[in-house]
Amino acid sequence: MSHETSQGTISASDLNAELIETPKGSIKIYPRCGPGSFSGLKLDVGIGNFSHYSSIIQKLEVFEKVASAKDGRVALALKEENSVVGYLACWYPDGAERWSKLGELMYEMGAVEVSRNFRHVNVAQKMISLILADDFFEDKIAYMNGFSWHWDLDGSGLNMAEYRKMMMHLLKGHGFQEYYTNEPNIALREENIFMARIGSRVSAEQQQRFRNLRFGIVDRD
Amino acid sequence: MLEGYPKEIMSKDGTPILLRPLALEDEQRLSEFFARIPEDERWFLRDNVADPAVMHLWIKNVDYDRILPLVAVRQEDNTIIANVRLHRRPSECLHHIAHLRIMVDPAYRHQRLGTWMLLDTIRLAMSVGIEKLVAEFIVGVEDAAMNAAHKLDFFEEAVLKDYVKDRQGRYRDLIIMVKTLHRDWSDF
Repeated sequence: MSHETSQGTISASDLNAELIETPKGSIKIYPRCGPGSFSGLKLDVGIGNFSHYSSIIQKLEVFEKVASAKDGRVALALKEENSVVGYLACWYPDGAERWSKLGELMYEMGAVEVSRNFRHVNVAQKMISLILADDFFEDKIAYMNGFSWHWDLDGSGLNMAEYRKMMMHLLKGHGFQEYYTNEPNIALREENIFMARIGSRVSAEQQQRFRNLRFGIVDRD
Repeated sequence: MLEGYPKEIMSKDGTPILLRPLALEDEQRLSEFFARIPEDERWFLRDNVADPAVMHLWIKNVDYDRILPLVAVRQEDNTIIANVRLHRRPSECLHHIAHLRIMVDPAYRHQRLGTWMLLDTIRLAMSVGIEKLVAEFIVGVEDAAMNAAHKLDFFEEAVLKDYVKDRQGRYRDLIIMVKTLHRDWSDF
């Protein structure tokens, strides 16, 4: 299913790719890039290490690892076919994390970032929307941890409260809502935020287990 | 401003609880809540909430630009079990500051309910652009609330010695605690 672009290889979900026109040029969003898709790509210079901010993912090999894991998903926003200007990487929670106690019900929208050079043109919005269009998510509780220590306050020009609001606004439009939890990493800072989207086929019993787990109560199967 | 409510929480003993804004139709429930607060504590409130007429007027005239009242209710029957109010001043010079006042039903104390309400109030304050939160506590009466506030980074800014009188006519200290809602991380 893969095909060659002039610069690299993108596979599988190309047919679902969408081209968006932005004031910064055309950007193509690939909702699911499979293993082997990442050779020949490069990260835009607005993704990387800055004085007060470091990108969560800085190496293409990480995308390969995520895409190769069970149900791993990597959405990419590409400029000129090979320059990664945004990414969204999703995975099942690590076994050491609280959310893994619900098996494969919980699914983490683990890392989302848009290059400093391509913000405010709806790239993140589009990546989230395309990735969630997959029916897979209707059986899942997709969640995202917002840890303030990962936020690019300098690059965005926002303060913590504004960044938190922006993140809530971004995800609310896709069916996510804020949930309170005593999960220690979230509880570490009051501006941290935990948001989740409950798929349409998630049962009432599963939702109850999710509620209990948010407060550290683990139900038996 | 008050979007995203109700919010689900759970007390330490696993009771499902909802946090939500106070509504007009809560008048009776709020009266019942204050009736369960010991008289020795109600004594320190600015309004005589035990008087139904006072309560009626208060709830009818809540000005959401100045007061954000939130309640914690038991999910099973909507009984109010805690109440927190965030007061803002209209003047420009104090608009970045809010005062909070919290009360928890005695039957639900030591269940982290107050802590969740404080945390929710902090997040609400953050979302409306508040920069400093001020809370007043009476020493020897509200020590548990003071302790919870301290754990959420409220710091003691002033002690007004022998400032208020309790029901028995004894003077008690009033502690003013302040929490700064930081806007960014330090560069250290």
